Formats: sequence, C-alpha cells, structure tokens
Amino acid sequence: MNDQVPVVGEERPETCRAPDAEERSLWRRVMDQFADHCRSRSLFVLHYCTGCGAVELPPTITSRFDMERVGVSPMVTPRQADLLLITGYLSVKTLKRVILSYEQMQSPKYVLGFGSCTINGGMYWNSYATVKRLDQYIPVDGFIAGCMPRPEAVQQVILDLMRRIDSGQANAWRDYYLDYDTYLGRQAALFGEEWHTPTDVVAEARHYGYFGPGTTGVHTARLKNYTEWALNQIPELLPERGRNEKART
Amino acid sequence: MVEIANPGMLELVVDLVLMPIVAFVVGLALVLMARRVRAKIERRVGPPFLQPVYDIVKLYSKRTQISHGWMHDVAIMLLLGGFITAEIFLPVPGMSGLAEHGDLLTLIYIMMVPMLGMALGVGDCANPNGSIGISRALTAMLAYDVPYIIAVVGACMVYGTSNLVEIVQIQQAGGPATWGIVTMPLLAIAGLISMHGMLGKEPFEIYIAPAEIATGPMVEMSGKYMGALFVMQCFQLYTVGVLYTTLFLGGGEMWLTFLPKVFAVILVFVAITNLFGRLRTEDVIAWMWKWPTGIALLGLLLVMIDV
Repeated sequence: MNDQVPVVGEERPETCRAPDAEERSLWRRVMDQFADHCRSRSLFVLHYCTGCGAVELPPTITSRFDMERVGVSPMVTPRQADLLLITGYLSVKTLKRVILSYEQMQSPKYVLGFGSCTINGGMYWNSYATVKRLDQYIPVDGFIAGCMPRPEAVQQVILDLMRRIDSGQANAWRDYYLDYDTYLGRQAALFGEEWHTPTDVVAEARHYGYFGPGTTGVHTARLKNYTEWALNQIPELLPERGRNEKART
Repeated sequence: MVEIANPGMLELVVDLVLMPIVAFVVGLALVLMARRVRAKIERRVGPPFLQPVYDIVKLYSKRTQISHGWMHDVAIMLLLGGFITAEIFLPVPGMSGLAEHGDLLTLIYIMMVPMLGMALGVGDCANPNGSIGISRALTAMLAYDVPYIIAVVGACMVYGTSNLVEIVQIQQAGGPATWGIVTMPLLAIAGLISMHGMLGKEPFEIYIAPAEIATGPMVEMSGKYMGALFVMQCFQLYTVGVLYTTLFLGGGEMWLTFLPKVFAVILVFVAITNLFGRLRTEDVIAWMWKWPTGIALLGLLLVMIDV
C-alpha cells in the first residue's frame, strides 16, 4: 500500500512511466478512443468571469445558440468541471484564484483563454496590475482573439477543442505536471517567493505517472519547507513525525 | 448438468441481476427526457440522444480524482447500494424480485439509506458548502417525509395490504376505477407533491442550489464520485416514478402500458420544476407541513370514514 501511494513529503525514486501508444493492447486503445469521444461530447464548463466577457456567455448556452446541443453545460465548482473558461483580463490577485481553481480540477482538464487580454494583455498591456500572458502561468488549450469575441467565436473554439479532444491531441494539462517547476517559477516571480498552493502537484504527478524531468527543480525545492511545516503542525498527516509524537517521546 | 434444486431460486437470481440494470437503462432515458423537456421549455434544442451516457462515461474515465478519506469512498457505495437495493424491492412487469418478501415499509426504510450515505460522505469532505447542503437535505427530508408517510399509510389502508405485488394485482384486477388516483385523489395529490420534494427539484431544490451553495452535497465530488452521483440520479428518477405508478396509477402487467405511466409521472415533475424558482429552507418546511400534509390528512380522514 505504502509502496503505491506516495505520502506527502516522502522521498521516492524519481521515475517516469512513459505511456507508449504502441505497447498498449488493442482493447485499451479502443477504450481510450471511446473515452476520448465521450470526453469531447461532454464538457462541463467553469466560467471564470471576473473580467469582461460574461455577457457573451449567456447567449452561447441559452436559447440563441444552445451549446447543450453538443454537450456543453455550465458547472459551478472546479471539482466537477472539465473546461475552465477565462473570460477577459486577469489581475494579479485573480490569477491566484484561477491557479487554485485550476489545480482543484481533475484531469483531463482544459483551459480556454477568451479575448485579447489573455493573449497579450490587450488594452491593459501597460497596466502594472494585470497579467499579460495567461499561458505562462497555466497550460492553455486555445485562445479566442477579439475584444470581445462574439458567441459564434466561442462556439467555434469549443468545437475546435472538441475535435482535438476526440483525436487525443488536447493534452496541455499534462504540461502542468511535466513542467511544474517552470510554471511554479513564473507564478512565484509574479506573486513572490512565499507562493504555494494547497494541492501537492508533484505528488499527484508521481502518483498518476506524469512525473518528468521538469516536474521538480529549483522552485519546487522551496515547497519542501511548507510541507515540512504542515507535517510538523498537523499531526494527522503523518503521525510518527508530528509535533505531539515528538513531545511524547 | 447441474440439477437446479429450486427453479424459483434461479428466477429470483435473474430478477436480482436484471432489475437494477433495467432501472439504470430506463433511468438514463428519464434523465434524457428531463433535460430535453427543460430545453424545450427554454426554447432550446437540448442535448443529443446519448448525452447521459457521454456524461457518465466521461466522469468515470477521468484520469485523476480526489478522495477525502475512507468514509467518502464508503458513502458512495452506500448511496448506490441503497438505490440498487430499492430497485429489487420495486415490482415491475414480469419481475417482482424481493417485493413479495419485503413490503412498502421496507422500501421506505431503504430509500432513506442513500441520503444517510451522502450525509456521512459529505461530512468527510469538510467543505462548508457541502455541510450546509447536507443539513438542508436532511431538513428537506424532514419536510417531505411527513406528507409522504401519511399518503403511503393511507394507500396501505385502502388496499388493505402493504405488499406492493398485491397492490398492483388489486389495481390490475379492478381496472382504472380501482386505481389509487381515483379511489383516493387527495392522497395521490399529496403523494405527488411529497415525491416532487423527494427528487429535490425546484421549488424544493434547497440543497442543490447551484447559485447559492454550489450544488451543496456534490460540491467536492469529482471524477468517479460525480459519475456515481449521475448514476444515482438515474436510479432516483426511476424509483420515484415507479413507486408513484405502483401506488396510485395501477402499476402494470406489461412494459408497454407501464413505462408510459412512469414517464408521464416524471414529465409532470419536470414540467412543474421549470415553472418555479427556489423556496427558502424554512418556507419549504412551512409549505410542506401546511399544504401537502393538510391535503394528506384530509385524504386519510376520507379514507377512514369510507373504511
């Protein structure tokens, strides 16, 4: 049991299980294609509408264009959602919440940047408080240019994303596991060296087999302090290392 | 050849396997109907034919999922297991399963297990939205169970039995004039309202409330856990539809006459749902304990005078 499930903060040999398409059985490949087809036809969308762009989404999902025809339906929590739709600009503060929401979503997960602001800052390119390029901080599957893009454009990019999911090409979410050190470094450059999230992405990458050479590095080494702190402060996480046990012995 | 000692036993085993599967397939169709009807009311086209299947397969094929402890895992089994057990006690045309051995009271007891399982599992998630949701769900149960139990007890008094198989036989033998909706219309109305509350649809949607508490008990459910809840929704629609059909609409001796009644009952629920917004928790209790309970008590009085 302990051999399979990595415990927070535990040192384990860093191995990468490379999923090789050729090695897998025919049954597995057929089932994967079936699953990919179902994933493409059922996208639960979490709308992150703190910028602009919230106005373009009601026509997209209600009677004017009705995206439920292709299985797109709105969801209200990141845990249940597959697709994170970032509409409009992100300030430094809201980007933190986007990253927290993104890490709570379950893979395979997809992100669409909506509007010019997520591509290059748009009309806020000169602002000190807004994020210029979204894809530097989380992996993005597609962008919609425009200020604002019309509902037709939203439909077009979602249909395009569906085609790529169906053919197994929409794998940007793996980059977050494989290059976590780079993403964390850029996030820390923006938010400060204290930046860390409750989700242990490195342990998830190890557990689900997406551990790569870029998963750990200079920036993730810093996270060890926070896990050490948590393990010492919360005895339930690892009882033999907890503060209470130390006091008793 | 293995000699089968008891042919009835083999039939029972086949029933026990087939009944939940039939319930699931019919439940998928009910979910599709509910979503299509909602779309039509909102002047949309609605989801494609296989949408419920796509949703469930996608949720079960998620690559990662979050478990919040062993009670969270056990709760999902309680939730699904409770409904699968309930299907075995519900007689349908050609299959009676364990319905002859357990009665209506057993079924009512079993139908409370999923809600209990949900409460235990959501407690392990430690999400405040989930805790609010589950406290509201149990409050809603307190509200709708009063008229529901009165309606069910009144129905048992009219039929003179609490055995669901016998209830169906009585109604089938006497024709539509002996259907529960004719012999005890007030109890049928109270039963309809309380079962609408049981489904957790608007205006009694207090514990889902996506815009207020982010789907309440489901807030921390991801991947396969959410998939289990989607499967549970199929079972829930089927169970409520079949139970109402059995008690008040004559049940059925063949699927061709039985299924349209089940779909009609769910259609009434779905149509009502889309007309209303959401009541507040205290308003749900006040309304449920005033109107459906009053109607049910009046119906019970009429039944007792007749008896």
